[in-house]
Amino acid sequence: MRKEVTKFTVNGKPYEIILESHMTLLEVLRNKTGHTGAKYGCGTGSCGACTVLIDGKPVLSCLTLAATVRNKNIETIEGLAEGNTLHPIQQAFVDYGATQCGFCTPGMILSTKALLENNPHPTKEDVKEALSGNLCRCTGYVKVIDAVLAAAEAMQGGK
Amino acid sequence: MSNALSVIGKRLPRPQGPAQTTGAAQFAADIKLPGMLIGKVLRSPYPHAKILKIDKSKAENLPGVEAVITAEDGPKIPYSICNLSGDMQNPELPSEHKDCYVFNDKARFVGDPVAAVAAINEYIAEEALELIDVEYEKLPAVFDPIEAMKPGAPKIHDYAEGNVAEHIPYAFLEGDVEKGLQEADFIFEGTFRTTKQKSAQIEPNATVANFDHNGRLTVWSSSQQPHPARRQLARIFNMPEGKVRLLSPFIGGAFGSRQSFITEPVCIALARKAGKPVKLEDTREEDLSTREGRQPQILTAKLGIKKDGTITALQFKTVADAGAYFSHSGAVTSLCMMDFLELYRCPNKNGEADIVYTNTSISGGIRGYGNPPAMFALEQLMDNAAKTLGIDPIELRLKNIKRAGERGYGMLPIENTALAECIKLGAEKIGWQEKKASKKEGVIKRGIGMACAMHCSGAYPDLVEQSNAFIKLNADGSADVTVSATDLGQGIVGALGQIAAEGLGLRAEDVNVTYGDTDVTPFDDGAHASGSCYTTGNAVLAAATNAKKQLLERAAKALGVSDEELDTREGRVYVKTDPEKGIAIAEVVRNTIYDFTGEGYNISATGTSGYRGSSPFQATFVEVEVDTETGQVKVLKIVLAEDIGRAINPMTVEGQLEGGIVQGLGYTLTEDFVVDMNTGCTVTDSFDVYKLPTTLDLPEIEVILVEQPVASGPFGAKGVGELGLIAMAAATANAVYDAVGIQVKELPITPEKILHALESNQ
Repeated sequence: MRKEVTKFTVNGKPYEIILESHMTLLEVLRNKTGHTGAKYGCGTGSCGACTVLIDGKPVLSCLTLAATVRNKNIETIEGLAEGNTLHPIQQAFVDYGATQCGFCTPGMILSTKALLENNPHPTKEDVKEALSGNLCRCTGYVKVIDAVLAAAEAMQGGK
Repeated sequence: MSNALSVIGKRLPRPQGPAQTTGAAQFAADIKLPGMLIGKVLRSPYPHAKILKIDKSKAENLPGVEAVITAEDGPKIPYSICNLSGDMQNPELPSEHKDCYVFNDKARFVGDPVAAVAAINEYIAEEALELIDVEYEKLPAVFDPIEAMKPGAPKIHDYAEGNVAEHIPYAFLEGDVEKGLQEADFIFEGTFRTTKQKSAQIEPNATVANFDHNGRLTVWSSSQQPHPARRQLARIFNMPEGKVRLLSPFIGGAFGSRQSFITEPVCIALARKAGKPVKLEDTREEDLSTREGRQPQILTAKLGIKKDGTITALQFKTVADAGAYFSHSGAVTSLCMMDFLELYRCPNKNGEADIVYTNTSISGGIRGYGNPPAMFALEQLMDNAAKTLGIDPIELRLKNIKRAGERGYGMLPIENTALAECIKLGAEKIGWQEKKASKKEGVIKRGIGMACAMHCSGAYPDLVEQSNAFIKLNADGSADVTVSATDLGQGIVGALGQIAAEGLGLRAEDVNVTYGDTDVTPFDDGAHASGSCYTTGNAVLAAATNAKKQLLERAAKALGVSDEELDTREGRVYVKTDPEKGIAIAEVVRNTIYDFTGEGYNISATGTSGYRGSSPFQATFVEVEVDTETGQVKVLKIVLAEDIGRAINPMTVEGQLEGGIVQGLGYTLTEDFVVDMNTGCTVTDSFDVYKLPTTLDLPEIEVILVEQPVASGPFGAKGVGELGLIAMAAATANAVYDAVGIQVKELPITPEKILHALESNQ
């Protein structure tokens, strides 16, 4: 089995990890760097629970070979809050009841972050489109969409 | 001072929110213990096969493998997969079926566990599975329950003749159905088929198990019922109950599927053999192809009705597909029958059900239990009747719904019902009259439909509905509540905190709720039957009431008044007739603990729920568009009104209903569980083929909470958890019927079925 050292950053911190060529980014985050906020939900890229950002773009980490992230900047759910101060998207998810079991939440929030960085004034339809790859079985999405729209507004106010 | 509630009814965010949104929430699969091994399960590739011989030597010799177990390793104690069996079950009910072992000597469906491995990592564990040699004797298999009942069908369990695990007559017969049918002016009948909807919680099941050096077992389990599960696991592994500790990690959704043993037994057996902690996690494929799904029904029903809309007879027959093991099938089927027969007033009713084994994955008790199939049949027959009689479907229902005092869920008298209000409000919100009157012509037709349901707040008298709570007050005026509620995402922990705060007269932020550890928490029947808020809520309120009594006695001494003159609110004890006069709760508790007179103690109390129940009701309205060229059904709008009693936290309650509605939308339109009829393999074993609703499928949803508090519930609350889903399929089918005049009697309602029916109509 081929092994090699790969460098990348997670939430701004540099990592050098010995990788086996078959490992996915999700396995590396969960088992090697300790970022268990990225979730295994299906392994086939169908549920979005493993969503992380690579250089700002949402990516399904269960379908991404870890070897391909060399020198890239990865952002996981653990990187959003500053100390105990939640990011406005996180705060909106809490305040609007957008979490139930919370398992899909990290992926939902990261998809939202990517959306709002590209489109700070999304319509409801834009939000539905951006989150269409993130399955949730608890909320029926209603309060998730409310939270994303509220976060967009809050982030306008804050900047 | 106002008597208005200060904490109940507030839209408070759930206490777990920050952990859930930052990645800090630890689910079972996130747990890592020193020396922990990873488990994997070898599953039968055949739907029905005797296991003749297993050679595990090659797997055992693979470096990194620490345990390989098969049926030989035991335990050899049969059990029911259903958590809610054994002592949980009313002894008057049919007996439980202990038809399963951790590993069985014969595989009864594709995916039945045959052996398992624990290794230092998952790659080695997977490699080891391939090194286990199993010699099978393939047996003929049967996948359809009707076929399974025929003479000569393969026998799946030795005890079940004709594969019928149980034949259940309706226990609460009334009148004479033959006479009722003779009295009817019209009889409507039909056969309806429903599917094995998967719970499809986004977190695949996972368990961690560890035996310590004293032989004590700790299990991190996502069970909905930690205490009953602990008792059952102790029995299966022949251990004293006190030697088993269940800890609840964050639970990534459950919807009823986790009121059964899932990954726990194999994980514990591996940990026992390896002498090390083991984590066992399902893949999504294992989850969809082997774990419990909603019990499918082949339901034949009859409705007798007079011209004026009076129901004279109801008859129910079903063949319920249990799958390979019995699990929840007895309760699901008998409740399906009761749900069908008891929603409306009817003097003549009977029913019977056959619960049949097939070589398919196990049927369980998924959100709504037997109710969604029952409403799918009943409410379509009601719309048939409405059309023939020329009565508005709403009027027909208003005429036949039960009132307070009549027998409700579980034969308990209906405490109160706001169903009539729910129907009227829902109709108004969806624009029933206008939309019924205006029909859209052309290729795309519009229709509107509705359906009702009655459900429960806890499963009394079928199960031990008992919760207990412990509360202690702290010297800073805060309170600690200890309960064994399980938060599956429904928000019960926040709701219990609100109940405790209101009951004690504290602010919500002053209450901390501890849960999820059977060593610490008192017995609780766990999360099921839409009952946690009602049952555990009653226990918490009883404990709060007891603690408050002690608090007032101490405050009365301090204030020089009698305790009857006092009440509490938002952290303060006050004199009812002179609210300015009072004392901070913190001061009373501090002076009670730090008391040098020798009279000091820590104010604390326990409370229990008692055995009760109360039926909540709901009405669901659905507007659809049906494309007559493609057969596509598009749901445009859903309005659901629930008779909630009291919404402890309206945001949480809405979330429960919205989530249930969308899960019901999947049940209705896209979630087809498909088994290959040649091989017995699950075709729909990934989310690419088993289609859950996404944001793009989301119609406009409006939830209405009708609050008429009941005396038996905490601050008047009734159950809510399952109510969003129950009538979705029925209401949607009725909307399709309204749009194109076709009744789809088989779920899911796919374009193929619509097109086929449209063609047959022409």
